[in-house]
Amino acid sequence: MMERVRRILVATTALLVSVVPVGTAANADELVIAVPNWPSAEATAHIMGVVLEEKLNIDVTYQPAGTLGIFNGIDNGKIHVHPEVWLPNLTSLVEKYRDKRGTIALSENGVAASQNMCVTRYTAEVTGVKSVSDLADPKMSAKFDSDNDGQGEIWIGAATWSSTMIERIRAKSYGYADTMRLLQMPEDVAMATVDASIAVGRPFVFYCYKPHHLFRLHDIVVLEEDTFDADKWEIVFPADDANWLQKSRAETGWDASHFHVGFAAKLKEEMPEAASFFENITFTSDDITTMSYALQVERQEPAKFAKKWVAENSDRIKGWLQ
Amino acid sequence: MVSRRKFLTTTGAAAAAAILPARDVLASRTAGESLILDPETREWVRYSQRRAYRYYKKNGQVPEEFRPRDVPFRTAEEPGTIIVDGNKHFLYFVQPGFRARRYGIGVGKEGFGWAGIVRIGRKAEWPTWTPPAEMIERRPDLAKYAGGMPGGPDNPLGARSLYLYENGRDTIYRIHGTTEPWAIGLNTSSGCIRMINEDIIDLYTRASVGAKVIVLMQGAALFRGV
Repeated sequence: MMERVRRILVATTALLVSVVPVGTAANADELVIAVPNWPSAEATAHIMGVVLEEKLNIDVTYQPAGTLGIFNGIDNGKIHVHPEVWLPNLTSLVEKYRDKRGTIALSENGVAASQNMCVTRYTAEVTGVKSVSDLADPKMSAKFDSDNDGQGEIWIGAATWSSTMIERIRAKSYGYADTMRLLQMPEDVAMATVDASIAVGRPFVFYCYKPHHLFRLHDIVVLEEDTFDADKWEIVFPADDANWLQKSRAETGWDASHFHVGFAAKLKEEMPEAASFFENITFTSDDITTMSYALQVERQEPAKFAKKWVAENSDRIKGWLQ
Repeated sequence: MVSRRKFLTTTGAAAAAAILPARDVLASRTAGESLILDPETREWVRYSQRRAYRYYKKNGQVPEEFRPRDVPFRTAEEPGTIIVDGNKHFLYFVQPGFRARRYGIGVGKEGFGWAGIVRIGRKAEWPTWTPPAEMIERRPDLAKYAGGMPGGPDNPLGARSLYLYENGRDTIYRIHGTTEPWAIGLNTSSGCIRMINEDIIDLYTRASVGAKVIVLMQGAALFRGV
């Protein structure tokens, strides 16, 4: 899961540490689908594989790989498909490989992704919290106090995530950096805190992102805030300026992200049916949440899950193959 | 919308916001005192050492809320995982079907001193206890145990111990039994997680070496990684 948020926001330079796949050039009559190590991409990789094998009689192999390795692999012909290319996060890689080198193409319709502050349904009911700006009120903050110091606590992300730096800027800009204690912990700790807080009836407010299995596991309420306004975001990175926090501001909600299927552009000529399938494929945010839930919570095998999903969604898939 | 003035005045506090030691966090709470759920009113009420001791003396067991039970528990964590909620003094052992076995625990005076993700590195029956050097300095009567106090009914680690490791290395923290069963529900230990002997024996038989242990950041826990 941590990988997912990294992927949402991490600067492209960080991707240089991604796993670079090794292997020989793919056979002419088979497609190599890369499998990044987060659940929804594992699921969609296998779903595309099942469609290619069952509907188009194309052999498929799966190649575990990180983002930069996949872009390189598509560029040099060893890999053909990247199940989730995130924008605007990977804009620089897309500019390089799609716009300049022309080796990668993207599906037309992306899946919408979002980042917010969330509470459990119980929390919304007992505290009355509705919007992110409510957290700047000391009386509201006190309702999230679990250690009797009069100040509430809020989870803003894992210390290693780039989003967490921006959440600190947002906390300052909205004013709740003054009223609440900002907690940084790995995602599993925060998600277990949601579980335990629901079990005992304790209010909890936390950074959240969609698609995510959390929204299927629990009844979650997204806190309201103004939609993204570029004029109200000024982000200075810690690497560029020691006073980044003072110099930055983020006074509205996050900008929307999307992710697309990436595939080798040469397939348009070499395997036009497959290329047209990749171009048309359209997953929804709900699809991705369901997939992430099936693999992460229900611990279903990706290959088995994919076969079942393809069987249950044959009409939609027929549309993607036309 | 946040004004420019507000923007300028919040920055100092924001810079200092992220992490404070647990002792600062708990400064406002009386030593050893905690909150427990009153099963009749369903309200969280103050629970002191004196109250806990009296209850145990009268009833011969810990309050009902702290006795082991199976509870509904929706989580993405796999069965066999342990989740420690020091704030509410509960330890959850995740079971299949969105359920968990819940036990009462005692935690550190100033919280665990930590929160995060560790694993059970090893398990021991009637473990040896070695008092830390600082403790021997404070209590010279413990010097005879500098090489380790053999396991047994008087050993403060109690009947069983689960040793918590991070990246394959001992963190010095344990989930263990106790010679002071009334201390369940309180913040009195030195950072370890205490259970009554009967409960740690039960957990010991269920939990495997390698199991994931998540210590939550709420309440007394310290807000940084282990």
